[in-house]
Amino acid sequence: MEIGKKMENVRIKTRVVKSNVMMILSTLAALYGIVFLGWILISVLYHGYQSLNLQFFTQDPVPPGMPGGGLKMAFIGQFLITVVAALIGTPIGIMAGIFLAEYGRGTWWAMFVRNLADIVISMPAIVIGAAVYVVLVAPLHSFNGLSGSVALAILALPYITIATDEMLKLVPKEMREAAYALGAYKHYVIRKVTMRAAKTGILTGVILGLARMAGEAAPLLFTSFNNDHTTFNLLKPMATLTITIFVYATGPYHEWHEQAWAAGFVLTFGVLIAVIIAKFLVHGGSFTAPFMYVARRIAKINKG
Amino acid sequence: MSSVIAIESPKIEIKNLNFYYKKSLKPALENINMPIPDKRVTALIGPSGCGKTTLLRCLNRMHDLYPGIKYEGEIIFDNTNILSKSTDLIVLRSRIGMVFQKPTPFPMSIFENVAFGLRLMGIKNKTELKDRVEAAIKMAALWDEVGNRLNENAFSLSGGQQQRLVIARAIAVNPEVLLFDEPTSALDPISTAKIEELIIELKKKMAIVIVTHNMQQAARIGDYTAFMYLGKLIEFDKTENIFTNPKEKLTEDYITGRFG
Amino acid sequence: MIELKDSGVVSPAVSMKRNGRVGNTLFKIAAFTASALIPIVVITIFVVLFIEAYPAIKAFGVWHFITTKSWDAVDNHFGAFTPLFGSIYVTIWAFIFAAPISIGVAIYITELAPNWLKPIVTTAIELLAAIPTVIYGMWGLFILAPVMQNHVEPWILDHLAKLPVIGFLFNGPGIGIDTLTTAVILSIMITPFMSSLIKDAFGLVPEVIKESAYGLGATRWEVIRKVVIPYVSSGIFGSGIFAIGRALGETMAVSFVNGNNHNPGSFLDMLSLLNSVTTITVTLADEFTEAVGRLYLSSLFYLALILLTISFSTLAIAKIIVWRLERRWRT
Repeated sequence: MEIGKKMENVRIKTRVVKSNVMMILSTLAALYGIVFLGWILISVLYHGYQSLNLQFFTQDPVPPGMPGGGLKMAFIGQFLITVVAALIGTPIGIMAGIFLAEYGRGTWWAMFVRNLADIVISMPAIVIGAAVYVVLVAPLHSFNGLSGSVALAILALPYITIATDEMLKLVPKEMREAAYALGAYKHYVIRKVTMRAAKTGILTGVILGLARMAGEAAPLLFTSFNNDHTTFNLLKPMATLTITIFVYATGPYHEWHEQAWAAGFVLTFGVLIAVIIAKFLVHGGSFTAPFMYVARRIAKINKG
Repeated sequence: MSSVIAIESPKIEIKNLNFYYKKSLKPALENINMPIPDKRVTALIGPSGCGKTTLLRCLNRMHDLYPGIKYEGEIIFDNTNILSKSTDLIVLRSRIGMVFQKPTPFPMSIFENVAFGLRLMGIKNKTELKDRVEAAIKMAALWDEVGNRLNENAFSLSGGQQQRLVIARAIAVNPEVLLFDEPTSALDPISTAKIEELIIELKKKMAIVIVTHNMQQAARIGDYTAFMYLGKLIEFDKTENIFTNPKEKLTEDYITGRFG
Repeated sequence: MIELKDSGVVSPAVSMKRNGRVGNTLFKIAAFTASALIPIVVITIFVVLFIEAYPAIKAFGVWHFITTKSWDAVDNHFGAFTPLFGSIYVTIWAFIFAAPISIGVAIYITELAPNWLKPIVTTAIELLAAIPTVIYGMWGLFILAPVMQNHVEPWILDHLAKLPVIGFLFNGPGIGIDTLTTAVILSIMITPFMSSLIKDAFGLVPEVIKESAYGLGATRWEVIRKVVIPYVSSGIFGSGIFAIGRALGETMAVSFVNGNNHNPGSFLDMLSLLNSVTTITVTLADEFTEAVGRLYLSSLFYLALILLTISFSTLAIAKIIVWRLERRWRT
């Protein structure tokens, strides 16, 4: 009897110890993530800050070895390409999201498109760039900024669509019914009531989608390529911050490395600011929120 | 078996109405025959699931928003059968309005909420909008509380105020019939009393149909009461008859609380 | 016919109706077209890649291409084995590193962190997700690789390379530009997504269910392992696949710290963590703009097509499995 009791206590103690060990490991895991975040951000801050000056933003590059010079062409190119990509991708993404949530909810077409969008989000960006090359670069016999914008827009499109779809689905059906009950047409209800109710969520989705797209370099490798002086011509090769970082950081010159860090600094903190703004807009807004549908559907089913 | 008294010149006449939800073989509403008197309050009562909300939503064809439903029979309003396929739902809903259980202000200012229906009808003149919005808010007994802050977001109002705002929104377009779906079930007793007062005022101008699960409310404000059970209309009569001298045993059982 | 009746208003009801109705249809058409663009884009990408890859497909076939190791621009003989292996291998290791960490982070945030710390840690993890991939690559090249080269890998070479059976995993030049560093960087990149999804999935478990388990005397870990995780297993599975998809398609982070090594040696050498390989994405990134010759370029497109197909199929299969799991729960 006594022995039995002792063994029971030992067993329970083992279980508790095991549980505590796992909890400590979990805490370490969280620490691991935070340590890396801090390490990366601080490195970027430290190395990048050193090379930032006014010239960096206002001048084109000079041959390595010579003092001065900047990455003006990259900033302007990045801005142009991103804005054009946003102009292409955002309206299409929002309209597609509207269709999925308001017109097609439950139909096989909507489910098909929505599932495809989920898959496209994770498709290799470089492959998308290669495809856009065939369609928009080869026929024009020149790398061009526009094709870069198209490639980026393809990246952002599914993200914005899914975010819009999810946000619209959150609007309570009573609100829509109240608008219909006053005698409104469907498009009026969508535009004036449903979209307005979901507007912060949709805006967050757009900001996050664009922020993610702005940080990509791979799809630009064969589309907008690169340029060593400033140009506003979307039909010619165009430099971007992301590509420039890639080229400079893997290049042989020390000055290039320094400038890569500085460009990295601007790029990183630009994107992070966008993400933080998005978080302020929607409490709990996050990169991963649109993908929550998986877990949400499970919960609905498990609730019975 | 149903006892339905006759009404002279009803605003709406429901004739042999059957209603089926999505692809269902069993009707959710079975053979409803009922008049809706004008400028009176008609209360729909009955246990949960008896079909009172379903019946209410037939009157402004709200069911049409969802696929797979089927109407049989007729609902006569203004000498036309509003169940026919050729009925313009947009126009119908500007003449038969609805207030829902949950207050649903739109995400816009108080003014814009009330003006919503007016803008739908094409009214653009700023003065006219202002006047009609003011009139509607006053009629909803809300002006004292919001008159000086019409540009504030509607969500800043309390639940009871929001519901009165929604009523103002519905009456701004001068409907001839106003449908209420358990309008006070989510509100506190004081707000409930205010809205009941409001309904009694409103009935002077329009026919009112109110679904309520609260028998006392029906007794308080209903001129006529309809008792429904399992999708059928059991009895329709003046409220005092229903509550003091019901003709059907089922009605009497419900009134006396034999089942809930 | 029901007509508009409104006392005291002269409103152009007819024109309103007409505007409203036409606008209604136009809007619907526009929305539908937008939604149709997604499948159109997907199909276009596949078709375009296939057309460009066709010469190589015809020349090398499918099985032969996948199993050939040589990648010879001079001889015009190309085989996908090395980059394909590299893509898959690096991803597997990244997943091995990332999975326990992601679950650990999710557990920490949902169960262990004090309430004031929760949003801070959550935001920190999400910021990690937001960092552009070029930055990961650059940081990996300039900061992590030297650390690996000077501190971590010598230790590994000294202690782990001599182990029996698994020693071969740790043989190699150890210069910091290798599979190990790549896997570490990739794992940091995919951890935020995985842990966010898992954390959100954990949050969906109703309190009552957890409380019932605690009430039976279970420890924290037992509740997590035996109740919470099974409850959201399909969500965890989905997030794992999603993370794998991202890792497979990653170019920038990998190309900085892995180089483009088409000749890593024997198969055993290729398996070594301290050796560098190449991946499909890096091969594309490096050689696309310099490929001379129809067959060379076509082989590159062939590689792209293979990667696209793998990525697409993996995600599609994961979706089907999740869907099936849901169906089973429903009945």
